[in-house]
Amino acid sequence: MASAQQALAASATPARPPTAAVRPGRGRDSVKAWPVVDRIAFGLCWAVGIGLCLVTAAIVLFMAVKGVAYLKPSLLIEHPSPSQDQAGSGGFLDPIEGTLLLTAVGIAIAAPVGVGLAIWMSEYQRPAWLARAVESGVEMISGAPSVLLAMFGLVLFARPALAFLSQTSAGGSVYGKSFLTAGAMMSLIALPLVVASTREALLQVPAHVREASYALGKTKATTIRKVLLPSVRPSIASGVTLGIGRIVGDTAIVVILLGATIRTEGAGGAPVLSVLRGTGGTLTSYVRYNSPAGEGNAHEKAYAAAFVLLLMVLGLNLLVMRFSSGEATGKLGRMRMGKPGRMRVVGILPWTR
Amino acid sequence: MHQAPASTGSPVGRPGAALRRIFARGAGPAERRTEWMLRTLAAGVLVVIAGMAITVFSKAWPSFAHNGLAWFGGGGDVDTQLREMINGPKDPAHYVYQFKAWPLIWATILTSGLAVVLGMVVSIFAAVFIVEFAPAQVRRAIDPVIRLLAGVPSVVYGLVGILAIAPWVEHNLISTGRKRSVEYVVQLTGANLSVAILILTVMIVPIMVAIVVSALETVPASWTEGSAALGVNRWRTTWRVSLRTARPAIVAAAVLATARALGESIMLSMVSGSRGFSPNPLDGVTFFFEPVRPLAATIIDYIDSITVVPVEQTLYAMAAVLLVSCALLSLAGWAAKQPVKRYGIRA
Amino acid sequence: MRTTRTLTLSLIAVLMLAPPATAGAKALLIDGSTSIFPLMTQLASAYHKATKQPTPKVGQGTSDAGVNDVNSGRVDIGDVSRDPIIGSDPKGLVFTKLARDGVCMITNPKNPLGNLNQETVQAIFTGNVREWSEVPGSKMTGPIDLVDRIASSGTQDAFQNIFLGPNLKISKSAEEEESNGLVQNKVKVDEHAIGFVSFAFTSGVNAVGYQGIPCTLQNAKSGQYQGVRNFWMVTKGVPRGAAKKYIEWVTSSKNATARKIINSEWIAIH
Repeated sequence: MASAQQALAASATPARPPTAAVRPGRGRDSVKAWPVVDRIAFGLCWAVGIGLCLVTAAIVLFMAVKGVAYLKPSLLIEHPSPSQDQAGSGGFLDPIEGTLLLTAVGIAIAAPVGVGLAIWMSEYQRPAWLARAVESGVEMISGAPSVLLAMFGLVLFARPALAFLSQTSAGGSVYGKSFLTAGAMMSLIALPLVVASTREALLQVPAHVREASYALGKTKATTIRKVLLPSVRPSIASGVTLGIGRIVGDTAIVVILLGATIRTEGAGGAPVLSVLRGTGGTLTSYVRYNSPAGEGNAHEKAYAAAFVLLLMVLGLNLLVMRFSSGEATGKLGRMRMGKPGRMRVVGILPWTR
Repeated sequence: MHQAPASTGSPVGRPGAALRRIFARGAGPAERRTEWMLRTLAAGVLVVIAGMAITVFSKAWPSFAHNGLAWFGGGGDVDTQLREMINGPKDPAHYVYQFKAWPLIWATILTSGLAVVLGMVVSIFAAVFIVEFAPAQVRRAIDPVIRLLAGVPSVVYGLVGILAIAPWVEHNLISTGRKRSVEYVVQLTGANLSVAILILTVMIVPIMVAIVVSALETVPASWTEGSAALGVNRWRTTWRVSLRTARPAIVAAAVLATARALGESIMLSMVSGSRGFSPNPLDGVTFFFEPVRPLAATIIDYIDSITVVPVEQTLYAMAAVLLVSCALLSLAGWAAKQPVKRYGIRA
Repeated sequence: MRTTRTLTLSLIAVLMLAPPATAGAKALLIDGSTSIFPLMTQLASAYHKATKQPTPKVGQGTSDAGVNDVNSGRVDIGDVSRDPIIGSDPKGLVFTKLARDGVCMITNPKNPLGNLNQETVQAIFTGNVREWSEVPGSKMTGPIDLVDRIASSGTQDAFQNIFLGPNLKISKSAEEEESNGLVQNKVKVDEHAIGFVSFAFTSGVNAVGYQGIPCTLQNAKSGQYQGVRNFWMVTKGVPRGAAKKYIEWVTSSKNATARKIINSEWIAIH
């Protein structure tokens, strides 16, 4: 199953050029000469391919048309109105802040843990049973529904020991829903993406890079910190961005663990901590609330918020593409392409500067 | 289950045995501390994951214990049963536990299964198009398209479904006569099985296409060249050689897509009809217009009533079923790839 | 290196110590009926403005969820829009009456039904009458789309008791919505729909009269309109502490602000 993750992570990087392959030439193999069945299949392939592009274009255009029609700049800077009926005045500043805050909390946990896990899985792997178990565990998480993670969070964070992460009612029971708790569960969603991306890149660092470092007397920890990590930075960045994209798009955990309120409701008086321990909403829960499946009764605002969400995802996608193209031409790319000359490689290694 | 790919033959991987001996002997305290810290981190993540499984199962146990295997059976209306639980007596000795989840399980099988089947057909043709037949510019354009489709949040799909697709289906495809034919049992609206399957397919196709394309590209060129040298045309080469070789990847793609479809809760709760109804295939075309509610969507719909203890245990039982299905899928995917590993295919 | 490490450690220490420091400012947690939700949110903000206590946090999840949350201690006050059910509600709960509220039947604006009498209401909602052409006073044709509430709704309890009586139940084929807002949504978009909501949710739809009396706030206040039920606040045992202060503020007969809020769309009783 790791290969599936690797394949997904690899699809973010440009495919390696076929090794001196010559695909069958087009001139000699005219479609008109094929048997009927094959021609039908050929037509189907084209139809499906173009159809896929058309469906994507339809979705994007539809959202763009509706979004541009309903999105006013005032919506982005006004707080939502406190009443249940959102059709009147008020924007969605709180949901935007909620999305950013939740993503920040989630990725702040997922990035270090994910990179650490990837390093351990590719460099140490001892004891072997633990390595296998962790690999299976991460794969299980990547396939687990977010509803499941949210329900686990409900049980976990209602424990009195973790009461500091959310608020407590005067009756003594722990509420369990806050940005911190939802962020913790969101980090589990982003974790497999960071781990897969980083691990894939670490495994592709050539052995001679590590060996050169050890030959110069550096310990393993220093090698990892000063040589390997900087060289896989683009992969870490692309994995983190993929994780951010997944967090931004998730709704189930927000609905279950964040309270899904329209406005950010702080808990207590401390400046930053009250927001983190309080409930709130994100763009995803706001869209759901204003759709016919929720009570906001404001379809135009739902379209506008969904359009903003789509723009965020598009932006993140472009970032990932930029990171992965940087990877091919950056330090690691040059090492991988096997540029001749030891001097050249030594010049590239960062810690020799 | 997967070791470092020393078998691929490329110059990658961890330091050799000699270096390992050096470190085993001379690893300093800082070195051991790093390894110890990272190992604890890994063990910690494992503990969290195991804790999740244990928590879900322990919370779900009473519901299974009181119902036995009848939990998976049919009989009775799921919403009525949940209503009895909510309105039932509140002391632990007399909780109402009866629950027969078959309509929900059937709905899950229908939506996920049909979506994956449809999606696989579409993905294979799309992947072949991308790898073989697409001109270079189209190829360059399609990559970002696939990635964009994969990244669209499920709530946006749900919004488009419930505001654009469901009303269209209701006005154009569901005639009044069809409505009347089943009105004693269920009300037909635009939110039904067909819309759910359609949108779910669109959601899982990008995942499958990405994996199959990646696999088709790693088919050794000598194999396809050999086939071309024998005079086989491009389509047949792809069908008989490349796709066969990519079979483990197709299986992996199907497993991944099924796991995604099983776990989809928000979009399905918005467009699939929100009624625990068991569609009857014998209804003919009306079968596709009947409302359904898969397991994950049921959890989301009833999450507000989770403070009622029997309801909480039933919802965790549903989550446990989802967890076991995903784990089994993972296992099945791994087992399906085993026979082909000996050919050294990077599957 | 050392300075960054010290800085990080001190930051973590500050964050760890901060929670106990803010533990004093606990807000009341209120949850329950979706009908009471609009009223309770307004009362909560007015309470905060008047007394400077932290604004109580109001959620919604139907009346039965409110009862269960209060019973298990997850919230301090539960909102319940139906009368207590002896034998089914947990023991030890104390119900304090908050206000009274009207329940209206609603139809789509394209189906401006003026009035329904009891037999027709019972026939429609039990599923005996399925076509709009058979409903007197309706110019709509086509099948009737019934919109119901989910089981834990207090409004559904109230509707069944008042309009249908103890022996009849709403048809099983009806669509069940989780809240008043969703019923209102559904009736707005479906021209064949008919449902029932709390009075505060009748904007944008046609409110149907009952037994010849239109469903307006005035008629509900005067007692002519029969579809009126109670709003209750539920606590575990006699109200204490912050909950007691809040309930006393809301139900005080000298509190003109609260009475004005309640009288806007509901019926004040204190």
